Amino acid sequence: SRHAQFAKPHSLWLNDPDSEQDTDEDDSDEVEQIDQDEIFDLIRSISDPEHRSMTLEQLAVVSAPQITFNSKVPDRVTVEFTPTVPHCGMSTFIGLSIRVRLLRSLPERYKIDIRVKPGSHESEHALNKQLNDKERVAAALENPALLEVLEQCLSTAGRST
Amino acid sequence: MSRRESRMEVDLPGKIELIADLPGHEDKAWHVAWNPARPLLASCSADKTVRLYHYNTISTSDTSDSSSSLKFELNTSIATGHTKTVRGIAWSPSGQTLATASFDANIGIWQQEEDEDGEAENNVNGGGEWECVSLLEGHETECKSVAYSSTGTLLASCSRDKTVWIWEVHPDADFECMGVLMEHSQDVKCVAWHPTEEILASASYDDTIKLYQDDPSDDWFCATTLTGHTSTVWSIAWEPKEGGYLASSSDDRTIRIWRRLPGKGDISFECAAVIEGHERSVYSISWAPAPEKEAVKDAGGKNLGWLASTGGDGTVLIWQINEVPGEPDKSPKIEQTLLARLDAAHGVHDLNAIAWCPRAGMDGIFATAGDDGHTKVWKLILS
Repeated sequence: SRHAQFAKPHSLWLNDPDSEQDTDEDDSDEVEQIDQDEIFDLIRSISDPEHRSMTLEQLAVVSAPQITFNSKVPDRVTVEFTPTVPHCGMSTFIGLSIRVRLLRSLPERYKIDIRVKPGSHESEHALNKQLNDKERVAAALENPALLEVLEQCLSTAGRST
Repeated sequence: MSRRESRMEVDLPGKIELIADLPGHEDKAWHVAWNPARPLLASCSADKTVRLYHYNTISTSDTSDSSSSLKFELNTSIATGHTKTVRGIAWSPSGQTLATASFDANIGIWQQEEDEDGEAENNVNGGGEWECVSLLEGHETECKSVAYSSTGTLLASCSRDKTVWIWEVHPDADFECMGVLMEHSQDVKCVAWHPTEEILASASYDDTIKLYQDDPSDDWFCATTLTGHTSTVWSIAWEPKEGGYLASSSDDRTIRIWRRLPGKGDISFECAAVIEGHERSVYSISWAPAPEKEAVKDAGGKNLGWLASTGGDGTVLIWQINEVPGEPDKSPKIEQTLLARLDAAHGVHDLNAIAWCPRAGMDGIFATAGDDGHTKVWKLILS
């Protein structure tokens, strides 16, 4: 995985000043009842940060059955994803892109937990912890270099596949 | 019946009443802090501002009802100049200085310019502008929390860079770094000084709490590490009167109460209670002393005050913490009683901070800050 090349000491996610920036076209409206497939539709077309021409769906990183709802509180959603390889250095970034896409698209009442598929990554615990730390996520989104790559990966989200 | 409706029917001795809803931040409100000496409430936000609210203190003969006439007004909004989120704020004990901790890795020190009459502290509505009198640089990454010691002579700051810095406060906004403590293996989320002694506690993403002391003949050092939480420790709060206990709140959804063990010289703690009740991360706790009249209620027990907690579930819980005698030759026990519960305090949003007002005559008054950018002021009313 050439993802490792993005990792730089002071970024928890990546640090990759890259080409031009796209803006995310977020035109989703508030919907009362949101099901598994609708949430999947929001994230399936996010581009893989390494293989930009491929979507997370095409790489089998995300799938509809990996989206689950808290049985008591349906606004609490867990989105599981499967890194392509167990040592994939871009997994935190992929998880972040899923989180940001859902933050921007779902009604505010939703509380999202992002997890890697159990057993799918050698740093599973650390990954899960970082992806669900709202302070680290907030700080990541104030990092212009990281945000630029994020916007590029999210620019394809919502396009029909 | 929904889960929330069933909750409403739980019979608790207290209720929580909204005193003021203060919108205004354009992004998440991360923290809230009461000025200890003046009627000012500060909040900070991802919008990089600090908002200061003034409240009146109408003195009435019926002191038990004084809060019902509390009115909050925006005093000023400080454009801090921080280039990223202002994550934490702290007042000095004198109430004359405000410190800001920002994701831009700097700590800002703010004081109010004296107005023409030279009476800044007596002129709560007017007075001069708040200006940055010092910028403490040194942290490499996001600062998360800042705190003044009880005497105001020391300032502690912490960061994602895993360090805790201790600064000595000199006159004329001069700060000298007394120590850089590199004990945690991950982000340091919160720092809190002991209420009477020069003991500092820090809480971390590494799931631990560390306590530091100054060696008069050497440097600051880590005296002990408290382990037990199974995820990030977000917030810590000392029992405010004597500091015999420390409370901590965590991403593991629990609050722990740690007892300081008697002993000369060294510092050691044991876990005295694990309190459950929240359904998501407990981002913030605040501990208020018991009102004078209620300090000793039950024979043999000691009322250690009220612990307020909140977090990602949007719920405020208020507990009374009692110390009761244990078995002969054993430590006393901690018993907590849930006094009041408020769900959806900021609607659907997370709550990031909760703080009791420390000023006299303000028993039961606390403030919260939420992802909706609002600051709210509440009162605990016991029936």
